[in-house]
Amino acid sequence: MSALAASTARYRHGMEPFATVLVRRMFATWHDAAISIVCLAFVIWLLPKLIGWAFLDAVWSAPNATPCIGGAGACWAVITARWRLIIFGLYPFDQHWRSGLACLAVVVVVVLSCVPALWRPVRLSLLWLGGFLTFYFLMRGGVFGLSLVGTERWGGMALTLFIFTAVAVLGMPMAIILALGRQSELPAIRWLAGLLIDTVRALPLLTVLFTAAVILPFALPDWLIGDKLYRVIYAFALFFACAQAEIIRGGLQAIHAGQLEAAKALGLGYWHRTWHIVLPQAFRNSLPATINQFVITFKETSIVIIIGFFEVLASGHAAYGTGDWTSAYAEVYVFIALIYFAFVFSLSRYGAHLEKRMRLGHD
Amino acid sequence: MTDNARAEAVVLRGVSKFFGTFQALKNINLTVREGERIVVCGPSGSGKSTMIRCINRLEAHQEGSIHVLGTELGDDLKNIDAIRREVGMVFQQFNLFPHLTVLENCTLAPRLVLRMSEADAEKEAMRYLERVRIPEQAAKYPGQLSGGQQQRVAIARALCMTPRIMLFDEPTSALDPEMISEVLDVMVELANSGMTMICVTHEMGFARKVADRMVFMAEGEIVESNDPKSFFEQPKSERTKQFLSQILSH
Amino acid sequence: MMELTALLRSGRFRGWLYQTAVVSVACLILISFVVTARHNLVAQGITTGFDFLQRSTGWDIPFALISYTINDPYWRVFLIGFANTIFVGTLGLIFATLFGTFIGIARVARNPLLNALGTVYVEIFRNVPLILQGLLWYAILTRLPSPRQAISIWDSIFITNRGLYIPFVAMSHGTFLFIASVFVLAGFAIALLPRLAGIGTSRSGFRRLVRTALLTAAAIAVAAVIGARDPQAGLITIPMLKGLRFEGGLRVTPEFTALFVAIVCFGSAYVAEIVRGGLLSVNRGQLEAAGALGLRPFHVYWYVRIPLALRAIVPPMGNQFVWLMKATTIGIAFGFSDLFMITSTAINQSGQTIEILFIMMSGFLLINYVISTAMNALNRSIALKGYETKGT
Repeated sequence: MSALAASTARYRHGMEPFATVLVRRMFATWHDAAISIVCLAFVIWLLPKLIGWAFLDAVWSAPNATPCIGGAGACWAVITARWRLIIFGLYPFDQHWRSGLACLAVVVVVVLSCVPALWRPVRLSLLWLGGFLTFYFLMRGGVFGLSLVGTERWGGMALTLFIFTAVAVLGMPMAIILALGRQSELPAIRWLAGLLIDTVRALPLLTVLFTAAVILPFALPDWLIGDKLYRVIYAFALFFACAQAEIIRGGLQAIHAGQLEAAKALGLGYWHRTWHIVLPQAFRNSLPATINQFVITFKETSIVIIIGFFEVLASGHAAYGTGDWTSAYAEVYVFIALIYFAFVFSLSRYGAHLEKRMRLGHD
Repeated sequence: MTDNARAEAVVLRGVSKFFGTFQALKNINLTVREGERIVVCGPSGSGKSTMIRCINRLEAHQEGSIHVLGTELGDDLKNIDAIRREVGMVFQQFNLFPHLTVLENCTLAPRLVLRMSEADAEKEAMRYLERVRIPEQAAKYPGQLSGGQQQRVAIARALCMTPRIMLFDEPTSALDPEMISEVLDVMVELANSGMTMICVTHEMGFARKVADRMVFMAEGEIVESNDPKSFFEQPKSERTKQFLSQILSH
Repeated sequence: MMELTALLRSGRFRGWLYQTAVVSVACLILISFVVTARHNLVAQGITTGFDFLQRSTGWDIPFALISYTINDPYWRVFLIGFANTIFVGTLGLIFATLFGTFIGIARVARNPLLNALGTVYVEIFRNVPLILQGLLWYAILTRLPSPRQAISIWDSIFITNRGLYIPFVAMSHGTFLFIASVFVLAGFAIALLPRLAGIGTSRSGFRRLVRTALLTAAAIAVAAVIGARDPQAGLITIPMLKGLRFEGGLRVTPEFTALFVAIVCFGSAYVAEIVRGGLLSVNRGQLEAAGALGLRPFHVYWYVRIPLALRAIVPPMGNQFVWLMKATTIGIAFGFSDLFMITSTAINQSGQTIEILFIMMSGFLLINYVISTAMNALNRSIALKGYETKGT
């Protein structure tokens, strides 16, 4: 069957019931049939095992791991018993509702950011800044009669989300400045921005964070050292900014030169041109790549565990590492993986949808 | 023509412009008085566009001087801003801002540069959109309009800054033939209202109708400058004759 | 006074002013970093400079490709760290690319079942952080049975919580692995260089080159095995249980395996997406034209679709390679001694913070530079003649 025939066949069978088309395509040729049978065998072998482990034979709740031992199923009891530790870390137990609300605020901000009506620089900045401050004051307390909880007690998913939003809120303006610097007409600024971006991008994120956490205190005067968490966040934001700057630069380069000329001819100055003409178009051009960058950054927040923070992976370790749950490590990892998956999958699906819509819009 | 008494709007004296080693403009001398309508023509690559782009400093000239409304155009940023406020420009590719509606395209510069209130800017913008006969498209985005409509919006957008001089850089070259006249009609009307205009165009019908003076350029030089009647009927230079025969033969 | 305002309003002057300001601030920050750091280090009694590279370390490295003792000097541990990073990274990249290409092709296949399996694979491994995957594999590997209860395959391969034991050529395996990896790399380089230089661009010429290069690499490897082997032992040693542990054969540590498997799974999911994007970017018209000429589907794939898709695949693949190479640093989470882990241990032990940081950064900059130069060269050499993108 030629490629031509294959592509027309796809349309010709468009009207038939879906299942018929599926079966026809699975057994279109003898090697298609062979592949299908191998795949089918694999699925038939794997699926019952998986379902058995995850659902049928699983232990859903138990005071300790004893009922799980020797069983063929997952020990989800560890999650029922320890989910609060995983999500909220060492945050004071009776204040968990604050941590929960704070996480919810971040989720709401991310969801709202996907609404095109809010895609104006001012609105988005306010949204993220508002979300960040809500999160910060809910978690930290000390105002509105909430008790003060220091960052050293923040942990779990809440800490992961805090690092993520702080990096985004700090990193985005930095990215814009770096991208504009790299496109500047002034050679020294262009060169300096390029050097910074290229150097940071060549280094692994972990080494940048490590430098900020462990080595930077040597190179800073005492009054500037501050909290380790904030040093790591600044360094992470810089790393994010350098990657995002290249994405914005791509968006800048896609803008037609006539746009700038028209803005100049209307008498708009540099900042007016940049803010009202250049950046909105650059962001629109680089939207799918930007979402992808957010996705990557969210996944990368997990490596702060190595620098010694009690984020969701570390609290997961604590959940199966203490007491008698040590055999239930896989369940904890799967649970955390599912949390990440839910965030990352939906965000990247949204990015793909947007990209498709934009591509259609161009035709 | 007894315009010699009118003030000088644009004066180019000995202007030269280089792109690297290539000389795009060679010792250009041109004086445009207020209210005058100049049509610049010439083969492609002759420096017409470069010349008018020097007048609002989209390009910087290297030799000679350019005065616009009495202000010298140079490295001085204040002067550049002041001149760009008084000089409107219409581009071959329209260059409307695709992320703004037609109305926002028109109100952006008045609000930011002239510090007009949003309501005033919108009222003014609607007045000019009516003048170019597309007020009903105000809420649409540029991508939703035809080329001719976009170019009329671009003219309205430039007019919203109430410029004293208008530059047109081949405004009809990117248009489908059936849309050229709607743009030219607007330009004729603008010319009749007494606006100082410098148009780079190959629309010789338009030139005959409105031009006070024709300027013919070739290889970065002004070859001939004359009133339209003499220009079209008794061209002095061989190159002008050749150019006219090429573009009028069909 | 007039002149001053005129000066301030001059575009050129302002340009200079901004540039001088920014450059001075940057220099000032840098200088203050260096001065403070020196001051603090002197206060701790640490002499700056690279003399410490000759000192012996006094600590051990769990995974080394080159033989190593705790009396060896610092420069040797950095070399080991660098070699470890390159080794696990290169192996990971090769397998992620092969596996990812296969899955990418499955993702655009007409067979709906194959398609669905590919999609599930990509979505699972792409949407879970790499470090989580590594930790999970490590946890699984270290919970395998102990050597005495090892899972044995044909009595020659043993799977234990101390690692995987496999039969191997009888020689100090660290040296062997290092030599082998160098030769594999050299083989690839020999195969690619003439092509990159624009010689032998014909398809058959290229094939011949690849074949020659691979044969040469194999020949050198065989020669190395025979030459460097321990004359007392046989050609191949098989792991055997002696008391509580295995002797003989090759031990693949759980740290290495966990990192390698995580890199391959995560990397192949991304590679699959790049390959899929490349294959989909090929104009349908080209494929229909090839079909219309009577080419069989496999030939359409091999001679038309893949060569054309390559142009869209190479640039993002280069970025992915750099990313994966840098991502090997997460191995520290479960104790794989890559360049980063060695660096942090060395800083802890010696206190030579700035110098060691400099060495590590140079190492990663070098890796980055080599990959991006190679990928750029590859990209240029496969660009369609006459369709090169002009300017930027």
